[in-house]
Amino acid sequence: MRKHNRIFYYGKKSLIFLLSVLVLSLVVFYVARLAPGDPLVSYYGDRTEKMSPQEREWAMEKLGLNEPIHVQYVKWIENAFHGEFGISFKYKQDVVEVISGRIVNTLLLGGIGFLCIFVGSLLLGVFCAWHEERLTDRVLCRLGTISSCIPEFWLSLVLILIFAVTFRILPSSGAYSTGKAEDVGDRIIHLILPLTVVTLEHLWYYAYMIRNKILEEVRADYVLLAKSKGLPKRSILFKHCLRNVMPAYLSIMAIAVPHVLGGTFVVESVFSYPGIGALSYESARYHDYNLLMILCMMSGILVIFCNMLSQIINEHIDPRMKASEVTETSEVKAV
Amino acid sequence: MKNILEVKNLSVSFDSPAGEVQAVRDVSFSLQKGEVLAIVGESGCGKSVLCKSIMKLLPSSAKIKEGSICIHGTDITDYREREMQRIRGKVFSMIFQDPMTSLNPTIKIGQQIAEAVLVHDKKKTKDQVYERVIELMELVGIEHPHARYHLYPYNFSGGMRQRSVMAIALASNPDILFADEPTTALDVTIQAQILDLLREIQKKLGTSTILVSHDLGVVARAADRVAVMYAGKIVEIGTAEEVYYDPRHPYTWGLMQSLPAFSRGKDRLYTIPGMPPTLVNPPQGDAYACRNEYALGIDYEEMPPMFRITDTHYAATWLLDERAPKIEPPVGGKCFE
Repeated sequence: MRKHNRIFYYGKKSLIFLLSVLVLSLVVFYVARLAPGDPLVSYYGDRTEKMSPQEREWAMEKLGLNEPIHVQYVKWIENAFHGEFGISFKYKQDVVEVISGRIVNTLLLGGIGFLCIFVGSLLLGVFCAWHEERLTDRVLCRLGTISSCIPEFWLSLVLILIFAVTFRILPSSGAYSTGKAEDVGDRIIHLILPLTVVTLEHLWYYAYMIRNKILEEVRADYVLLAKSKGLPKRSILFKHCLRNVMPAYLSIMAIAVPHVLGGTFVVESVFSYPGIGALSYESARYHDYNLLMILCMMSGILVIFCNMLSQIINEHIDPRMKASEVTETSEVKAV
Repeated sequence: MKNILEVKNLSVSFDSPAGEVQAVRDVSFSLQKGEVLAIVGESGCGKSVLCKSIMKLLPSSAKIKEGSICIHGTDITDYREREMQRIRGKVFSMIFQDPMTSLNPTIKIGQQIAEAVLVHDKKKTKDQVYERVIELMELVGIEHPHARYHLYPYNFSGGMRQRSVMAIALASNPDILFADEPTTALDVTIQAQILDLLREIQKKLGTSTILVSHDLGVVARAADRVAVMYAGKIVEIGTAEEVYYDPRHPYTWGLMQSLPAFSRGKDRLYTIPGMPPTLVNPPQGDAYACRNEYALGIDYEEMPPMFRITDTHYAATWLLDERAPKIEPPVGGKCFE
């Protein structure tokens, strides 16, 4: 009976997932095509201006843009199911190829950034909670609030100004120097500034959350019992409080994935970092429909997936959640 | 007999936005080995704060203003957190009011007890710890301990949780056990069971117990000695017989009269008029004076000292002064016979 429920549970989740993805694709497809602008510019560049109406029509037909939008959409869906996402108008290459050249860069920046945020905010939050209301905690709280109020692009520009222009110790753009794509050290040097911005922007938000969640736990009754057992503060904080905070933190971090991703997109454009973010900005600007679609779908799927993941984590880590699940099903039976 | 715990002139205050809250005022008492001392009184008269201040479990806004706490003759008043950690659990431990919230909801019951076993004896092997946990669970009357070791608090009923809390409190064989209203949050049927268990364990292990309660019936069942607290002060203290059969303080009379047994055959239950005073600016003189139908003029002006009635029985009321008018107490032992 229980196994059955689990299958039903995941089945329901998958169905919601597919439906959301479908709606997302529909919305992006329509919005992109209804937005004003000439998609031919991205394919033919300046030549578009000199085209005769016949040439234009021919070009539209060649790119499959002359049919009504819903027909185009159905075609796109059909092709997508066969793994074909069309060519990029601008790069005149299969979009999958265009992306595969760049995705590593974004994964590197986003992934390392996410790890830094995850570990950093946990440490910072616990540190602040430990020193609650003492000077270190207060100073960190103020600094943190300031740091998370600074907009990403502004911070990027200031850092570029300081480290790339004035002191010339770090590169201001790109993911690696020309011809050094395989050089790890070179990549790391290029990562420092964008990574700093991505991490600083999000670090405090989550650290503060951890701090407050732990402080909430510290005031719980079970902490008094743990204290009266003779447990030291360290054990109470790490074994009891942190443990109870973790489910909430994990689910928050799962929701954080799309936020951090959005952050990298902005940072990538400022640092001309050749990643997915800069690419999606370009594709939206130049009406590179196929490229835009696949990028939106990728980020969208990630967002939806992470949100669902956080929900599932929440429902499964905390044993009390399982209890409510059991009573829920027994209620269903009773009905 | 030797005094295990001696509290002298203890005053505890909280800093609050409204001013200094004097939660415990000039309290002195002692606890002997193997005895059960009950502390009774209305809500908010400083019973819990008194216990927590001895174990130093109060939030940082609370300060011990005056007085001393001695355990086995050692003054622990100025002990810091690190030193307190060493003696908490081993010298004294505590059972809290609400077993629904005093266990960590995400850790298995067995592990929570094991933690308490290990904390003062780190040399124990895994098997020894497990055995001890099972032994403790049997001691507090949890059936099928092997299976229940792996359950979470939410699998347990209120009574079972309170039993688990007791197992945790007894894990390192403490000399003193503070039971802070251990039955208040439980069903009436479970209350009696838990009290009997408390008494039984206390007899078996010889643990000195301080039982905080606002229920005189609960106290009559379990206590050797009784201290009545009002507005942060102990107003009467004596053996259970003395306090029950020969109460001297008007507040004790009021509490006794409020018992349903006393109003048997009458239409309404007796209540003490008014409310306890706030402890931000406690009234000058006897704090109980304005609710006391036997109050004397001096009660409003000067705090009564502790008058000795017998070697074990003391009460703080001007009625015991030799110049005071003689009053026939409205209650005595009769209603308990």
